[in-house]
Amino acid sequence: MINLVLLTRFFADSSKNIKDSDQVSTNAVLPKKLTVALVPEEVHVAQKTRQETLAVVRENEEAGICSGIPEEHIKTRTVRIYCPAKNAMQSGTNNINYWQIDFDTRERWENPLIGWTSTGDPLSNLQVGFVSKEEAIAHCNKMGWKYYIQKPNVNNPKPRSYGINFSWNKRTRVSTK
Amino acid sequence: MLRLPVIKLTAGLQNGRIPVARLHITSSKLQQELVEVFIDDKPVQVPPGTTVLQAAAKVGVEIPRFCYHERLAVAGNCRMCLVEIEKQIKPVAACAMPVMKGWRVKTNSDLTRKAREGVMEFLLVNHPLDCPICDQGGECDLQDQSMAFGSDRSRFVDINYTGKRAVEDKDIGPLIKTIMTRCIHCTRCIRFASEVAGIDDLGTTGRGNDMQVGTYVEKMFLSELSGNIIDLCPVGALTSKPYAFVARPWETRRTDSIDVLDAVGSNIVISHRTNEVLRILPREINEEWLSDKARFSCDGLKRQRLITPMIKINGKLEAVEWEDALVATARAIQDIAPNKCAAIAGKLVDAEALVALKDLVNRLGGEVLATEQSFPKEGAGIDIRSNYVLNNTIAAVEEADVVLLIGTNPRYEAPLVNTRLRKGYIHGEQTIGLIGPNVDLTYDYEVSIKPDNTLHLGQSADIVTQLRNGTHSFSNTLKSAKKPLIILGVDQLTRKDGAKILSETQLLAQALGENTKAPEEWKVLNILHTRASQVAALDVGYSSTVEEVKEQQPKVLFLLGADDANIKREDFPNTCIIYIGSHGDEGASIADVILPGAAYTEKVATYVNTEGRSQQTCAAITPPGMARPDWKIIRALSEICGVRLPYDDLAEVRSRLEEIAPHLVRYGVVESANYFAQALELSKQVPGCLSSNPLEVKQETLDQFFMTDAISRASQTMAKCVQAVIKQRESNL
Repeated sequence: MINLVLLTRFFADSSKNIKDSDQVSTNAVLPKKLTVALVPEEVHVAQKTRQETLAVVRENEEAGICSGIPEEHIKTRTVRIYCPAKNAMQSGTNNINYWQIDFDTRERWENPLIGWTSTGDPLSNLQVGFVSKEEAIAHCNKMGWKYYIQKPNVNNPKPRSYGINFSWNKRTRVSTK
Repeated sequence: MLRLPVIKLTAGLQNGRIPVARLHITSSKLQQELVEVFIDDKPVQVPPGTTVLQAAAKVGVEIPRFCYHERLAVAGNCRMCLVEIEKQIKPVAACAMPVMKGWRVKTNSDLTRKAREGVMEFLLVNHPLDCPICDQGGECDLQDQSMAFGSDRSRFVDINYTGKRAVEDKDIGPLIKTIMTRCIHCTRCIRFASEVAGIDDLGTTGRGNDMQVGTYVEKMFLSELSGNIIDLCPVGALTSKPYAFVARPWETRRTDSIDVLDAVGSNIVISHRTNEVLRILPREINEEWLSDKARFSCDGLKRQRLITPMIKINGKLEAVEWEDALVATARAIQDIAPNKCAAIAGKLVDAEALVALKDLVNRLGGEVLATEQSFPKEGAGIDIRSNYVLNNTIAAVEEADVVLLIGTNPRYEAPLVNTRLRKGYIHGEQTIGLIGPNVDLTYDYEVSIKPDNTLHLGQSADIVTQLRNGTHSFSNTLKSAKKPLIILGVDQLTRKDGAKILSETQLLAQALGENTKAPEEWKVLNILHTRASQVAALDVGYSSTVEEVKEQQPKVLFLLGADDANIKREDFPNTCIIYIGSHGDEGASIADVILPGAAYTEKVATYVNTEGRSQQTCAAITPPGMARPDWKIIRALSEICGVRLPYDDLAEVRSRLEEIAPHLVRYGVVESANYFAQALELSKQVPGCLSSNPLEVKQETLDQFFMTDAISRASQTMAKCVQAVIKQRESNL
């Protein structure tokens, strides 16, 4: 277990870089130099901050708060950790052997413009896959989400045999073809 | 189609979800009997008799298949699962071939690939290129497998389609649309019909290129499980009629949830888009089967909905704002005398709403909390849980060797329990006896020709006593059973002698339990419920009956989704009736105030099924209009009435649930009931005797199955089914 993780942070604490960000916003509105205006804003900020900030982040630090997700979507949301169910319409099972997280449903509606589905929920489309349940739990803890685990189904099929279709004294004998 | 989640590459098979990984039995004796085979050079130990396909599945190698389905008999007719086995000249069908020691199976060799390409080419020669207009498109096994295993070119040169096979479509009822030209003759539907549904209506006629799957004469596929053949069909030959051309699988969202239209609590997947439920599919836990009512009544969620609060003004219900409705309700409740407030809970109510309403009514000084379906109070009543749950769990039903059904028709009351019984009947040589009317259970049950010439055990309740005394011809079979099981229909307990029936059944169960050498955890006594809310309601203490509410003549009566025809306005002349529920049905029509609630697809809620397993639904969509989840309505009302309930969000409600009954929030776990002996002792004191009235069941024929609650009564599809069944019965086919 590594207690300390070194992360290169693209965005420094806002208090530290008030000056920088001010400058950037003025630049965007009123370009002073042509070069600054051509470079996308994010790249510009990233370059600047990368040079001067190398923050040490502890593993259990609430990454959710730092990530910029509105607090409402950290405190009030419940995450479901589950194994996706096999699609009953198809026989393939190769695409379900992993764990997934998704969020409680918020309102969705049909967008009158082209009939697509709209939502005001930024986490509506977030579905993250994990190799194991523990990883999913660790991720939720890190992000500060409440979660619950949906037990996966234990499927224990019985051995099948072709011969029982023709056994003469069992009810498994097939009549219809 | 072939996009796989990136995670899959690393995920492998680590989380134990590869099903057959559990076939291992660790005892050393059995291990010696295992055969070792090599699938693509990966060694695997399997019991003798395992098919190549199952052995391959065990190491995570998936062999393509069309006709093979793990819950159906092996047919071996599609040939898609052909694989090469080293030192064998011809490829073998993996689904039907049992493994031999030391076999080296090659699932990806040139021979195997060539065999698959050949099969695929033959299938596609006679398969129409319907994919753009086919409802199966996007979740079609043929489509996927032709992409993965098919040839990249075709030798089909008949561009005028002169010789292309075409088959007339069949009409097999209002649920299943058939496009028979697309059929690839996998015979899954035929095997499902004869093996699981128990209706030998489907079959093939003709041979070779002229072979057709159908019913031979045009008739409806009269099964309560007919929708499953839509899922089973690997191509688009059988598709859902109500869902035809509605949506593509990639544009819908899927939410795992629980079905509440019967007490089995089948696990479902709700497909929805733009706040609209489009279809409902089963999840693998209920063997991938689902009853037609659960699957097709989802259009009832869009009709007859209560979308605004309503108040009766001058004898007419008028739509009002929430504030007005809640204030009007609070005014009716104001200064209410103790014990002048009561509640009746309906069929589809969740545990959260039940608990919130119980807390509210108790705070208002009321004690009478009733369920529509009464449960006898004599004996142990609802105090001991083993009295009212299916103690032995649904999955274990198929393990029993002798089953006694008392006053129940599991085929319509709980179709998925009936499939378990049928599975036990077919694969486990189960003997089944029925005390009750002579209904079609899809399997033969005990035939003992009585003097009155009935072809079943009989219909009178005192047969239970006779079976215990050994005076009945069936009692020897029952007593010599190794794993006996008694399933008592809960409707019988609403009879006047309900308590006595329960007590007699308990005595019989105890006698059988002592007799057999069944393992400790084998429970003989089982009660089969028909209502999704009932077990939770009994768990949290809804002990009264509708009759008691009528006697009490409360000033304020809460109907929590109660739509029973037994509750009439005339019985409550001076009562303010407040209806909280999702559909405008019987209950709403007699109400003074209507507070619109959410249906089961629209709320995160707890339900306890007949085996006592608590499960939760997930909200797929939001409630329509101004409707709100039921417990929130009750919580808001309590605030206005001045008896604020101490919970503000779902987590807090659930901690209240946990206070009352901790098992309610242990989702997915069966909380096994206990104290059988104590329940028996208490029930021995039940006075009275069994009445001579025959045991009746409410649902005897298929048309009585489809519309049983507010949602299915609002469903047009269900109405069409009833019509079709009646029409089919009138015809002589």
